[in-house]
Amino acid sequence: MKTILVIDDAATVRMYHRHILESAGYSVDEAINGIEALEKALVKNYDLFIVDINMPKLDGYGFLRQLRSQDIEQAPAIMVSTESAKNDEILAYNAGANLYLIKPTKPDELLRYSRLLLGESI
Amino acid sequence: MMAFIKQQAPQEVSEDERTTARDFHGLSAELNSEHATARRWAVRDLVSFPQASEVLVARLKIEEDASVRTAILSSLAQLGDKTAMNGLVTCLRSDEASLRNEAIEVLKAIPDEVGPIINALLNDSDSDVRIFTINILESLRHEHVEQWLMSVIDNDDQVNVCATAVDLLSEVGSELSVQSLMNLKQRFANEPYICFSVDLALKRIQQGEH
Amino acid sequence: MTSITISEEDFSKFKEFFYRKTGMQFENSKRYFVDKRLIERIEATNSGSFRSYFVMLRFETTGEELQKLVNLMTVNETYFFREEYQFKCLVDSILPEIVRKKTDDSPIRIWSVPSSSGEEAYSIAIYLLEHWSGIDRWDVEIISSDIDTEIISQAKKGHYSPRSVQNLPDKILHKYFTYKNEGYQICRDLQQAVEFTRVNIMEPLEVRSYRNMDVIFCRNLLIYFDDVSRRYAAEMFFDAMKAGGFVCLGHSESMSRISSLFRVCKFPEAIVYQKPLESR
Repeated sequence: MKTILVIDDAATVRMYHRHILESAGYSVDEAINGIEALEKALVKNYDLFIVDINMPKLDGYGFLRQLRSQDIEQAPAIMVSTESAKNDEILAYNAGANLYLIKPTKPDELLRYSRLLLGESI
Repeated sequence: MMAFIKQQAPQEVSEDERTTARDFHGLSAELNSEHATARRWAVRDLVSFPQASEVLVARLKIEEDASVRTAILSSLAQLGDKTAMNGLVTCLRSDEASLRNEAIEVLKAIPDEVGPIINALLNDSDSDVRIFTINILESLRHEHVEQWLMSVIDNDDQVNVCATAVDLLSEVGSELSVQSLMNLKQRFANEPYICFSVDLALKRIQQGEH
Repeated sequence: MTSITISEEDFSKFKEFFYRKTGMQFENSKRYFVDKRLIERIEATNSGSFRSYFVMLRFETTGEELQKLVNLMTVNETYFFREEYQFKCLVDSILPEIVRKKTDDSPIRIWSVPSSSGEEAYSIAIYLLEHWSGIDRWDVEIISSDIDTEIISQAKKGHYSPRSVQNLPDKILHKYFTYKNEGYQICRDLQQAVEFTRVNIMEPLEVRSYRNMDVIFCRNLLIYFDDVSRRYAAEMFFDAMKAGGFVCLGHSESMSRISSLFRVCKFPEAIVYQKPLESR
């Protein structure tokens, strides 16, 4: 079973993403911010990361930059953020995201892109 | 046999020798030291001067070392005067996520100073600032938290601002919020996330009743 | 008999809050354990119901109630070789890394806070002697500090209950301890290997002389602090360390609830946190 790490400081968002992904047969772990996500990603192999941008202690960019600099097998990452005038999308790709989605995510959209990045048929 | 030793002489501290005078002028000058350690200590020591907010805010704008910035935010929160608060609020508008998030953390801890400006921030024209303000409410120990959140979900048009408020209401919401939550669900009936989070918040409020 | 109950939604609400604050996560199988302790606190505080207790917990300004809960939910016991994997990490990964980067012959400095009755600092000394060949090559300073002077004099005395040494292999126990007054007395050499001092880590003036640490062990302390104090303590540690030095936290603690100043660092034995090499 493929395992996805959902990283978001909002508990409800984590539960929502978990609900969608588990219904589709994936296993889901959660992290509350970038530091906890690194702690988890360094000891367990994930197949995909779903990462929020604004989080305390270490934000989504910081997480991806540090993850991408590690000498470990790298899984794809979907960055999710609120729509805004700030150039989040460019920064997300620069930090090492493979895809950028705007919140709130829709279940079918989240699943479609997750499957795509996991190399599964959509 | 053993190579354990005890300290022979006091540790040499090369960079932050608080050699400059620890008066306001000495410390303000020290904010420009080339050593991050010296700057951090100056930032901390400046807390004892009520007029320090201005120089700290000025330094924050150009400071590049993350550890010094962290210290500046903590000192500003301790000072808590108008200049300091303005400096912290300005960080919420920064393009830099790490600075924004650190400012949020610091603001969470000072309910008495933050309370009076919450209403203004919740009505800011920038929806990101409104979201960050709700993030501040997350740990703010203030009796109006639920009311503020209700006014957000009653009035704010931006879905993510409301979403952030509902997330927190699932923790602090009481029966007072029930009607507002139900209205919100109607207002964003085609947003699966809002429906999911409102249902969760309502379930928690109702089950907690008994 | 109690009439207070914790509903399933109450439990998940509490679980989330506690997780956010402390990083500790309860499985649903721990439900009974958690409920029991929650009810105990609800009664002790005369809150009457989970709801009003939770409001108090969430909004009280001192953070005292949360601290009490953390105390109840954790086992705060100190004994020799507690969380031994971290001492393994120290000798097999951390010290080799520090030595590799060293540019001079200065001593390696290890700080253990809080000292409590000394088990941790002595465990470090024993571990270095038994498992680290570098001890013949390098000078090591072990400093152990606590805010409580009484506990410090107990630590210096080095007399322990059988329970406190029960994790030690017989060989080690006989090598470094003698049986005395229904307990175990640590040997003089070890007593002299550790420097015990009194310090309040929240007091900048007191911490200022603690410098150039290569490793800080701060286990099961910060989890009891509120958010602001934790962050402040982390700043104090940051200044007390050499660039590239390491912080070890307790097994139920995570830097993700404390500070962003340090980098997450993974060794085979444990996750530890490093002061970035380029910072000063």
